[in-house]
Amino acid sequence: MSSLFASLSVAVNALHAEQGALDATANNVANANTPGFSRERPVFTEGDPVTLGALTVGTGVILQRLEAVRDPILQLRIDDETQQQGRLDALVAGMNQLQVRFSASDGDIGNLISKFFASINQLSTDPGNLALRQGVLLAAGNVASAFRNTYADLQDQRTNLDLNVIQDVNQVNSLSKQISGLNAEIVAMQNLGRDPSALEDQRQALIEQLGGLIDVATVQSESGLTLTTRSGSAMVVANQSFALSVRPDSSGLQRIYYQGSDITGNITSGELSGLLQLRDEEIPGVAAQLDTLAAGLANQVNAAHHGGFDLSGTPGGDLFVAPSGSGVGAAGVLAVQITDPARLAASSDSSSPGDNGNLLALAAVRDQAIGSGSSPTNYYSSIIFGVGNEIANDSAELDASKLMLRQLQDQRSAVSGVSLDEEATNLIRYQRAYEASARLVTVINDMLQSVINLGKE
Amino acid sequence: MRVNPNVMPDLLAALEQSQEQQQNALLELASSRRINQPSDDPGGAALLAQIRDQSSLADSFLRSAGSVSGQLQMADSALSSVVETLQRAISLGIEGGTSTASDSDRAAIANEVSGLRDQMVSLANLSYQGRYVFAGTAVAQPFVLDPNVASGIRYTGNAGVNSVEIGNGFRVQVNQPGSEIFNAAGADVFQAIQDLSTALQTNTGIDNAVIAVRKAFDCVTQKRVFYGNSIQQIESQKNYLNSAKLQLGQQENTVAAADMMAVASHLINAQNARNATLAAIGKTSQLSLFDYLR
Repeated sequence: MSSLFASLSVAVNALHAEQGALDATANNVANANTPGFSRERPVFTEGDPVTLGALTVGTGVILQRLEAVRDPILQLRIDDETQQQGRLDALVAGMNQLQVRFSASDGDIGNLISKFFASINQLSTDPGNLALRQGVLLAAGNVASAFRNTYADLQDQRTNLDLNVIQDVNQVNSLSKQISGLNAEIVAMQNLGRDPSALEDQRQALIEQLGGLIDVATVQSESGLTLTTRSGSAMVVANQSFALSVRPDSSGLQRIYYQGSDITGNITSGELSGLLQLRDEEIPGVAAQLDTLAAGLANQVNAAHHGGFDLSGTPGGDLFVAPSGSGVGAAGVLAVQITDPARLAASSDSSSPGDNGNLLALAAVRDQAIGSGSSPTNYYSSIIFGVGNEIANDSAELDASKLMLRQLQDQRSAVSGVSLDEEATNLIRYQRAYEASARLVTVINDMLQSVINLGKE
Repeated sequence: MRVNPNVMPDLLAALEQSQEQQQNALLELASSRRINQPSDDPGGAALLAQIRDQSSLADSFLRSAGSVSGQLQMADSALSSVVETLQRAISLGIEGGTSTASDSDRAAIANEVSGLRDQMVSLANLSYQGRYVFAGTAVAQPFVLDPNVASGIRYTGNAGVNSVEIGNGFRVQVNQPGSEIFNAAGADVFQAIQDLSTALQTNTGIDNAVIAVRKAFDCVTQKRVFYGNSIQQIESQKNYLNSAKLQLGQQENTVAAADMMAVASHLINAQNARNATLAAIGKTSQLSLFDYLR
């Protein structure tokens, strides 16, 4: 036989359960627009049945816990894509800054080289003309300063990237510290049997931020969450975080160290990797090409100039300041050696200052191969192609990555996002159930009243 | 499958995209260029750099051809005067050689012939923009009076010639040394005139002297052909360069110019897409079930 008090407790449990479910709904609705929030749903279970004589009766409902709805695998893919996007974002932004120097303009290196050769051709019509000679020196000076300015721009950009690297590393350290703190709190709450869902959401948001900066892999274990870089350096283990440090190398550029070892080359995604790729590969690559072009041009022009004689019949010296043997850094220091236009060796005959034979030799440098077998202009246009192509490829990759991330986030939102319609229906369900349970309490109360008053009056 | 309840981020992303397309199309329209930076079309941008170089080269060839052709024309017209002068000398010689000419006539004629020589020297010392045209590659006045020389005129220039590049690998010679024109072996202009003058004065060997002047006349006429040819070559090269420049310009257009019709339609498309997205955002019901519950 059953008991009224048992029924009463079933009704009261139900009241608690529905109230708890309403709490979840309230929290969901409140966080409908909170980024990174995962909706929660109540997990109801039946109470264990009790057998009273011949009857087995249910003991009502138990609200076991509120469960956050997440898809961990999807989250891993989002993390991956975020890291990829962080790298590409940094790369494209940096390269866009760089390509401005290589956009066609009156002052770009290629155009000034053309003008230099044009000035030589012009002088060949009147080799003794001092104004035309001055024109050649001026054009040579413009070529040199265009090289120097472009080179200095590249170096400036590199220095700025270096500062960004330091900032990013600081940010990484602060994030991993926060994550390890949250790790500790989450474990503590779990040990107390509490729901750490809110903290997990916060931690996830921080991990995403971290992934935007550096490549991280997440491993969930009993004792909490472990974050490592893809190359295996643990950054967060349970409640401990391990900081990265920066130290300048011999050239003054910051290297990234983990526990005393240099991991600069091992960072493969996230903004840091993009910055490092720009700083250590893209910009030095372009600078090296400029060096080859500057050194090649200067050497060829000088060689041709040596073969001639100036207005006073003296053999020609260097027209450009001779670049160093290796040519490294040549673009940064390119300068014109000659200041006196009379010293320009136009003649190929020491006794004929009106001869223009050597100007033809100088003009021929236009078609002579410098580095990798192409003429100066062709070499310059191959630099343009290289820079443009890099950006075009990276941009395409970035677009694809954005689309991918967008879709993944849509999927996440489909799983974890708050739907107000759904919450409204839940609200009705839980409210009605609550009302019903409350009604039950009233009914049982009435029945108990009847029992208590049995035999009276 | 649960539907993504939050579509706003997607709509915003779409909005951003159409805005970016709109900006790109506007930039293309404003600059009327398809390639504004290397990444717009790396291959095209590289090609463009080469085209610009070639076009700047053609420009410089054209300028050089212009100044060279001026110099050659000047030299040509000077030589034409020399030829006329020699012709005059020949007819004077013939006049002086006739039996009817008196001594005083011949003396007068000889005097005129001497005057022709001075005229010739000044033509041979022609300068163009401060340079002596018939001095070879030397810079000093090429023909100077010198009584120690038989003809009385000494050549101080050299035998050098200059060539100027007026096309890729196409060089044109821009001068002939004065010694080849005026002092050719057996046809020395000044010597012939000098001899004619002497012959007229002494009334001996006038016919031979006239023959010598005729030789000099032939020589100069022949040398003059060079200038005519060169000028013609330069003119045709100028035509070629102009058409090459035109072609390069067209090529640059093909590579870099924005297809205005296409860009305009891109712009309209982007604007339509943007308007549609905006309308969609405006109309996306912000209502939920909550609004229908009392």
